[in-house]
Amino acid sequence: MSFARRAFVVAWKDVLVERRSKETLNALAFFALLLLFVFQFALGPDRERLTGVLPGVLWLGFILSGLLALGRTFLVERDHDCWEGLLLAPGDKSAIYVGKLMGNLALMALVDTLVLGLFVVFFDIDVGHAFPGLVLVVALGTVGLAAVGTLFAAMTAHVRAREVLFPVLLLPVQVPVLLAAVKATEALLLGEPLAGVAHWIQLLAAADVIYVAVGVLTFDAILEG
Amino acid sequence: MPDNWGFVAAAYVITAVVLGVYWARLVRREKALAHRKPGRTRS
Amino acid sequence: MAVRALGILSAVGLLVGLVMAFGVAPRETTQGNVQRIMYVHPPLAWVSYLAFVVVAVASVAYLVRRRPAADRVAHASAEVGVVFTGLAIATGSIWGKPTWGTWWTWDARLTSVAILFVMYLGYLLLRGTVEDRERAARYCAVLGIVAALDMPLVHFSVYWWRTLHQPPSLMKPGGFTGSSAILWPLLVNVGAFTVLYAYLLAKRVRLLRAEAEEAFA
Repeated sequence: MSFARRAFVVAWKDVLVERRSKETLNALAFFALLLLFVFQFALGPDRERLTGVLPGVLWLGFILSGLLALGRTFLVERDHDCWEGLLLAPGDKSAIYVGKLMGNLALMALVDTLVLGLFVVFFDIDVGHAFPGLVLVVALGTVGLAAVGTLFAAMTAHVRAREVLFPVLLLPVQVPVLLAAVKATEALLLGEPLAGVAHWIQLLAAADVIYVAVGVLTFDAILEG
Repeated sequence: MPDNWGFVAAAYVITAVVLGVYWARLVRREKALAHRKPGRTRS
Repeated sequence: MAVRALGILSAVGLLVGLVMAFGVAPRETTQGNVQRIMYVHPPLAWVSYLAFVVVAVASVAYLVRRRPAADRVAHASAEVGVVFTGLAIATGSIWGKPTWGTWWTWDARLTSVAILFVMYLGYLLLRGTVEDRERAARYCAVLGIVAALDMPLVHFSVYWWRTLHQPPSLMKPGGFTGSSAILWPLLVNVGAFTVLYAYLLAKRVRLLRAEAEEAFA
């Protein structure tokens, strides 16, 4: 089986599992909705203050949902005694990483769309011309989050205090992605053209390339035992 | 500009103390190990 | 004994550095004597980054060859590194209070070092949490590599974050006028702290090896 095909099989398996149970997606969708309430209550009704911090809060929404979604990447294998199946898989184990990453990206795409949609509606954001740029920034940021998240999820799957260790390890590494994404989003929403945030986009793209490359190269070492 | 010697002293003292304590910890643990296994810790 | 020699060398170096920081270096015109903290803060920050590079290189070496010695170097460097990083932050903060009026400011340099600190802590936390030693070595190696490759990204993003819409902070730490009376004490201290790092690293590695031998005895 070729690398691409094996990766696809892993991703498709996760999609099927999720389609049957829908547990993760439903819970995440509900979580996104709840975040909206939490942010609104935490930040108060003052519209002025809200518009100022909206890009940051939006990305908080993406990151918090992302932490939940990504942390669960290998829980199915762990809980249902399938971990050995992963270890014994023939060939390059990075195919599993790519497959899991693709599955996570599909999941995050759905969740991010929901979060963005809820934000636009409830916080009355005028997206307008910024939409294509926004989609690009969200996509690049999400790839960055998912690339490292999938790797660290494998690392922490069997560790005690996984729920705490996973975000603790992931968040510092994601600082550049968070900074770039929030600044770019902020500029775009203020009407800045895409060219104006080119440096942030380049940083996000570079980060994505580095993260995925490291993931592919080191995943074998994670899955050895 | 005031000299703020207190701050200067604080910086140097904290550096010395922290590094010193860390060093002392290493020395202590090495001694403890040497005690339990005489002749095995010298590299 | 090489380690003992390193120890003596670092003690001498630190002493000379100390004397130069107070005896040779002049009282700085704009900041007053507070500037003397700049003879410990940049050296500590420099070693923090050096230690992290060592963690990264040792991590790669471990993943490629699986020699336990490489893992010990990575682990030891992370531990020594976190001490230096914490001190770098503390001294930077202590310098900042009389200079900028605040204990903490999210300027590019301090923020970068703070993130480095947190990454170190994550590494050591992972070490402590994974029970199996071989697993811990592998996982930490991966984390070390990811974090190290991330640091340039952190640098740029934090720097742009702070400077693109704001003028850079008025007194950049470490920016000296070029007078040799300030440069030499700084260089001597950089060298002294580097030797101290090497000494503490060697001791820590030796301790790790001894502990490993005891565990298998």
